[in-house]
Amino acid sequence: MEIKDLDCLYEACPIPLIRAIQTLRTMQSGDILVVHSDESCAAVMMQEWAQQNGYSIRVTESDVGEWEIYLQKP
Amino acid sequence: MKRWIKKAWPYWAGGLLLGGLNVLLLALSGQAWQVSGGYLLWGAGILQKLGVPALTWDYFEVYNTRYRQIIADDSVFLNQYTILNLGVVTGALLATLASSQFKWKKVKGKKQVAFALLGGILMGYGSRLAGGCNIGGFFSGLASFSLHAWVFWLFVAAGAFVGTRLLLRFLAR
Repeated sequence: MEIKDLDCLYEACPIPLIRAIQTLRTMQSGDILVVHSDESCAAVMMQEWAQQNGYSIRVTESDVGEWEIYLQKP
Repeated sequence: MKRWIKKAWPYWAGGLLLGGLNVLLLALSGQAWQVSGGYLLWGAGILQKLGVPALTWDYFEVYNTRYRQIIADDSVFLNQYTILNLGVVTGALLATLASSQFKWKKVKGKKQVAFALLGGILMGYGSRLAGGCNIGGFFSGLASFSLHAWVFWLFVAAGAFVGTRLLLRFLAR
């Protein structure tokens, strides 16, 4: 199981989601991607996308206006 | 209560609120919501101060004759549009502060700056040719059953399609 970080700080929506999908494509089942973003909409979009695609997701607000989004590939 | 302030509202809630507030604004001030016209007047006013006679350009004769009174009153910096635009910024600031998500954003890189500038210039120029932005030209136009808003929507959809292609090609790595 691999854990990968994806730095999407200061990137506007929908770039964090697009980059997350692109990165997840290269990963294996069970791997975890940690997306760092400072856009609240990134977490909202990824939650919707994860639900539609069967990914487990956890979102934490790691700092004021900064989020860590954990996505596990099914 | 906390959750209600903190979480992003669904689109339908925002849509209903914006629609309701626009009706209220029209009823109270006699004018539907417009955004970019205010910045047009600021821009032209700044050019005027720098010695470029922007306020006498043909544009203000051909397009946007509704700004004539504001220009005649010499109030390009202080008018109803300025108040509305300051309201937008203040409201957004209050909302971020209330959800404790206020943050100074850094610039990601030169590419981001270039695209942001290019996009801003294209949007600004387009809104001037269309005689309004997505608020005055589309949102308020649609609500008043004006045909121009539907034409605006068609071309915005086409622009968004091209924009998405460009974004995928150049910005998302």
